[in-house]
Amino acid sequence: MSRFIATSAIRGAQGVVKQAEDMLKDALEKLGPDVPIALVDKEGVGTTYYLPVIYGYSGHKVEKLGDMTTPLEHAKSLLPPVPSENLWLPYLGETMDAGVATLFAEEIIEGIRFAKGEQPEVRNGYKFNGPISDVQTRSWGIQMVDGSMPGFAAVIGAAKSNEVAVKIVRELQSKGQLVFLSSTSNGRSIVDQLLEEGVELGYQTFTVPFGTDTISVVYAAGYATRAAFSFGNIAPGNWREILLYNKFRCFAFALCLGPMDDLKWATGAGAITYGFPAICDTVVPHILPTGITKYEHVVSMPFDDIPGRDDMERAERLVQRCIEVRGIKIKIPKVDIPVAFGPAFEGEVVRRENLRAEAGGKGGTCFEWLTMKDMDEVEDGKITVVGPEFDSFEEGAKVPLGIVVDVTGRKMQKDFEPVLERQIHHFMNGAEGVQHIAQRDIAWLRFSKSAVDKGFSLRHLGVILHTNFHNDFGAIVDKVQITLYTELDKVEELRKQARVVYRERDARIAGMTDEAVDTYYSCTLCQSFAPNHVCVINPERTGLCGAYSWLDCRAAFEISPTGPNQPVPKGKCIDPVLGEWEGVNSFVYEHSNRNIERFTIYSLMDSPMTTCGCCECVMAIIPEANGVMIVNRDDYSMTPCGMTFTTLMGTVGGGLQTPGMMGHAKLFITSKKFIPVEGGIKRVVWLSKNVKEEFAEELKEVCEREGVPDLMDKIADGTVATTVEELLPFLEEKGHPALTMEPII
Amino acid sequence: MALTGIEIYKHLPKTNCKECGFPTCLAFAMKLAAKAVELSLCPYVSEEAQQALEAASRPPIRLVTIGAGESKIEVGNEVVMFRHEKTFYHPPGFVVRVKDSEPADAVGKLVAEVAGYSVERVGIELKMDGFAIENESKDGGNFVKCVELVSSKTDLPLILMSTDSSVMSQALDKVASAKPLIYAANKDNWEQMTELALKHQCPLAVCEPEGMSELAELVENVTGKGVEDVVLDPGARDFGPSLVNLTQLRRLAVRKSFRPLGYPIITFPGEAAANAEEEALLAGQQVAKYAGIIVLDHFSPGMAYPLLTLRLNIYTDPQKPIQMSPGIYEIGTPKPESPLCVTTNFSLTYFSIAGELESSGIPSWLLVCDTEGLSVLTAWSAGKFDAERIAKTVKEFNVADTVSHRSVILPGKVAVLRGELEEELPEWKIMIGPPEAWDVGGYLKQHWSA
Amino acid sequence: MAAVEVPIEKWTGKVHEVTLGGNGRKSVVVGGESTLPFLHFEGSLPRRPVIAIEVRDSEPKDWSPHLVDAWGDVLADPAAWAKKAMEYGADIIALSLRSAHPEEGNTGADEARKNVDKVLSAVDIPLIIYGPGVAEKDNEVLVAASDVAKGQRVALGNCEEKNHRTIAATCIADGHVAIGKTPIEINLAKQLNILLCDVGLSRDSILMDPTTGALGYGLEYTYSVMERLRLAALGGDAMTAMPMICTAGEESWRQKEAKFAEGMPEAWGDHLERALTWEEITAFSLFAAGADIMVVRHPGTVERMKAVIDRLMSESA
Repeated sequence: MSRFIATSAIRGAQGVVKQAEDMLKDALEKLGPDVPIALVDKEGVGTTYYLPVIYGYSGHKVEKLGDMTTPLEHAKSLLPPVPSENLWLPYLGETMDAGVATLFAEEIIEGIRFAKGEQPEVRNGYKFNGPISDVQTRSWGIQMVDGSMPGFAAVIGAAKSNEVAVKIVRELQSKGQLVFLSSTSNGRSIVDQLLEEGVELGYQTFTVPFGTDTISVVYAAGYATRAAFSFGNIAPGNWREILLYNKFRCFAFALCLGPMDDLKWATGAGAITYGFPAICDTVVPHILPTGITKYEHVVSMPFDDIPGRDDMERAERLVQRCIEVRGIKIKIPKVDIPVAFGPAFEGEVVRRENLRAEAGGKGGTCFEWLTMKDMDEVEDGKITVVGPEFDSFEEGAKVPLGIVVDVTGRKMQKDFEPVLERQIHHFMNGAEGVQHIAQRDIAWLRFSKSAVDKGFSLRHLGVILHTNFHNDFGAIVDKVQITLYTELDKVEELRKQARVVYRERDARIAGMTDEAVDTYYSCTLCQSFAPNHVCVINPERTGLCGAYSWLDCRAAFEISPTGPNQPVPKGKCIDPVLGEWEGVNSFVYEHSNRNIERFTIYSLMDSPMTTCGCCECVMAIIPEANGVMIVNRDDYSMTPCGMTFTTLMGTVGGGLQTPGMMGHAKLFITSKKFIPVEGGIKRVVWLSKNVKEEFAEELKEVCEREGVPDLMDKIADGTVATTVEELLPFLEEKGHPALTMEPII
Repeated sequence: MALTGIEIYKHLPKTNCKECGFPTCLAFAMKLAAKAVELSLCPYVSEEAQQALEAASRPPIRLVTIGAGESKIEVGNEVVMFRHEKTFYHPPGFVVRVKDSEPADAVGKLVAEVAGYSVERVGIELKMDGFAIENESKDGGNFVKCVELVSSKTDLPLILMSTDSSVMSQALDKVASAKPLIYAANKDNWEQMTELALKHQCPLAVCEPEGMSELAELVENVTGKGVEDVVLDPGARDFGPSLVNLTQLRRLAVRKSFRPLGYPIITFPGEAAANAEEEALLAGQQVAKYAGIIVLDHFSPGMAYPLLTLRLNIYTDPQKPIQMSPGIYEIGTPKPESPLCVTTNFSLTYFSIAGELESSGIPSWLLVCDTEGLSVLTAWSAGKFDAERIAKTVKEFNVADTVSHRSVILPGKVAVLRGELEEELPEWKIMIGPPEAWDVGGYLKQHWSA
Repeated sequence: MAAVEVPIEKWTGKVHEVTLGGNGRKSVVVGGESTLPFLHFEGSLPRRPVIAIEVRDSEPKDWSPHLVDAWGDVLADPAAWAKKAMEYGADIIALSLRSAHPEEGNTGADEARKNVDKVLSAVDIPLIIYGPGVAEKDNEVLVAASDVAKGQRVALGNCEEKNHRTIAATCIADGHVAIGKTPIEINLAKQLNILLCDVGLSRDSILMDPTTGALGYGLEYTYSVMERLRLAALGGDAMTAMPMICTAGEESWRQKEAKFAEGMPEAWGDHLERALTWEEITAFSLFAAGADIMVVRHPGTVERMKAVIDRLMSESA
């Protein structure tokens, strides 16, 4: 906490409380205690929630002048002394108290002004709005709750120039923020600046002028308080709930333009109690996160020091910083490109005769690479094309293309990079006339003539990515910038770097172990038809459908915290060999409708995982062979256990725990944690031929890793055995290790 | 705690002799664990094993057969309280009651109508299952005559209803070979009825309205004499008592494996209903809640059709959804130029899209592909709804001869198939419909012009 | 022999009670069950399941002739229709603002305010207000309807995942109940309840619509999802313990079995008998699966459902 700010805010609070006290004394003498007080204008428009901030904080109803004595005394009691020059204290609590006292005093002053007919303010014939009416609060409140208008910006003071003022307001509006205007800087008010530029102000344009003094900022707090009454269902007087409601649900902040003074700091301190940070375009001390606001409390961004080509760009970045500091998530209504965009185009093929240009594919050079960066390294929405565009490509040309995406976000994690990178394929295919195949350095893009004729350029690939990452992954992505490279040497150079990263990532995923994490993830997506089934997904076992890895689930949980992928804390280990944990057991018990009491990760025979119906493979013991067989969904033949895949599925599916049988993904066979309790891959005596072929290389490696390099030759398939009678001689002839392992039953 | 397949397997002979009808002992053990077969199918099971596997040796509700021949009713063998837990296996028989006091021609006409009734739904033929003949006249001669009349008109299974064992005996002498259900043994006549059941090898209903304990006692008396096929009538008739009684009986059987009450249940919804409509509702309740035989006092197609449909719905295996047969379906009265939509053969998918097309008021063609009962996205991800299959279906059902245009509308969720389908069906324009069925009406209005 | 001991389920959970109406209007409370439907012997069923009759803000153009016969002239006047529905025994009026549908008039907030106001004045029983089922229009007309009905505690639907924040916000602001509708899936239903609570709606202000499949058109899916939701609720899961509402009327009357008289197979029997039974069996089966509110269309169904529910609720076996 800055002593400078604390001192200034406390001084400001003392001043405004004194001003309120004097005004109240004077008014009581002149008007008497019974004169009614209401923030309602001559047309009857205003609020029926008394003085809403005071009402919200204390539950005290101010209906007449005499009722103001109590809140004034309350404000006085909150006033701390000004910090002394040589004593260094944390000051935070005192400053907050001073902020609350300031809001009380400001509301008392506005109340008295209403009683005297001095509010809403009229200046040079222009009538200010004054407080937001209850009707408008309800209407905007709904938009605030449904996210179409996340919150408001209380703009205080005046911008560097009229143009900057207009730009700031436009930028705020484009982010869906309401704009409240008050106060002055150096005698100028942003209201004047906007009016001079012919900007329409009022409810219709979501730009509301409160007044020309700092005191009128209290109307913003009144609006926030009433939103908490109406939409948080919070009773007046429950100040803590009201403040928390605003911290978490009303994405508001103060944007202070021009020099600060004591009263601005005091009012700002009041705003901070609501969780509203202040961003100042002058040099002021920072107040870093302590928990009262979501992130930083006070951020200084001296306007002329903001990087940018001109003041317009600086204004844009100033607003961008406000959005970040308050943690506002942006939704972009439309992918702004000259061709249609939507899932209907996902299957579109760009054929040779309609091909304008392509990147990647056979003999091509193309890659896509998404990286997580620091907050200040990414400029949201920045799209750069380095190298030639379509107009310099010949028709049907094969061009080099490097797609480099930098993302950042407060909840972004390095491990989500591949999860997000894989989305590029899905996003780009949504554009009419763009065909995207594969990923990473084998990505292949084709662009149709008709799309390019309509004005589609490479830059628009950036627009597609920027929009969709925000809209679909806003929970983890705050800013996205895209650079597209089309110069061969540059693309080749970057591709080299990207390939290093791909390898690192693969190694990291391959090296991830169950032991290294303390949380697994669940998948209950299939409970619609298998009500008692819970998939538990650990780093070394993907979901049995093959579609969800542990990382996918972790990202899915961040994106949709109430969705089907929930964290499963391992809890206390019951048996490290079986892979049984207390936390996993209790999660599965609860989510299987109390059907599955025990659950092990590493055993087929003792409380194995249940199966929904989506598994790629089923494994089943063959007691006669002292081993297990694995049959794949695409293998329709009879198997040595006497059941086809379908029959096995019927036995094991539906969430029943069936020791000796288990559904799993194809890739699970290559895991180091493939039924270790029963002896791992050495137990496999029969495996569907198509899996053998599809994973030939991987399986070979696994067999070498497990010290049985010739194992694959000893494992039967449908071509040599579909009955136990056929299987056993084969195994004996080959000398399969399972025959001499300890009994499986 | 039920035994797992492996635990059961340990007790089996492990010879894979195949005489039980399963290729391996393990496969048989798995079926036993699911309570889908009886242990007695294994000819070599040891005495010890039998004891150890007592709980697994018999389904909790005995499978009882009424009638003989193709149209016999098989009920029982249920293993769960709620259909989502596994499935309900044996749908209750709908049996229509006639009375021997009614004029013969009226009885004959009703029997002919009921026996001849048949209605088709999703490719399945739905029919009524049998007749109950009640000895209302209390006269043995009348009863025998009526029983003979009914059995001369139908091969459907019969229920003989009389508490007079001598009357019952006369009727059984005529029709016992058709294995009718004897209704019913009560605490007064059970010894005679039991004798009849044993003599004629017919299933026997046991009626005891006094309470569960009394019912169980009477059943044990009857089974003690050697009767194996028992049907229960706990006596409750009205909506509430019937629901409670049938629920309690099912719980005793499947949750407690309480053998004396582990039999199918017979109900008489007409006896508590104020009118035919109420009877249908009570019968509906009993379809969902645990009846094995439902004796109806009214019959009309307008009521039978909904009831048969309900039974079909409730007894659908939740894990094996109803599949539509692949083919081209008419929605409304389509013309050759009407739009053509493609979907999967998962019944719910079909119903959603067909319903929306229907209410859009635009007559259309709906082409159903065989996706093995999977919905659009699931089928697509399982590779059961791909361009190849769609193209094959288009050709197989000669769609090009049915419609005059060459446009086919794909579900929006599988827009990715467009390119491949263009390759497979080069003559056709592939259009991408909305991702959700409810949008299809709006889509056609906007995008379809014949 | 020893007495047979009937197993009793010891449920730990209870369905939340939800109140509609009040504030001068008659009130209807649903929920509160601590056992499965109508099983009085092992828990309490403090509130009877209720019937709502669907009333439209504009004359329906494609309704079955039997519905048109049953209602007659009032179909053109929502207020008169609502009154008549009340006379027929409706516990609740389900006013459907169908005219706001882009293809059926595309009316807006003003028309919605007018019609809601009319129906609120015409009857003194609680209201359910449905939008046309198109998200943007739902938001527009339901927010307006909510405002007009402020203080009357109506239920607003449908609230789906995509627009749940708007509907929840307006319910919180005006003291109404939201009808959360999800496509026949237990976890989606639960997830929407969690999302609604996250927005700030209280648990006693949510009804669940698990999506109704009519008899022969997916009834078994709805039936089982409802049984599972109710079992989960009774098992103690508060996020599945919202009372359930089903739309048996709309779903059964749009099927060809109920809708059409001509050209149907003979085995389908008499049209009116079949159509009515279709709606009644759909409704009754879903009551048996745990529905607390059933929205129906035909007066005959109302009469029959009330008679049967009377009997199921009065008996304690």
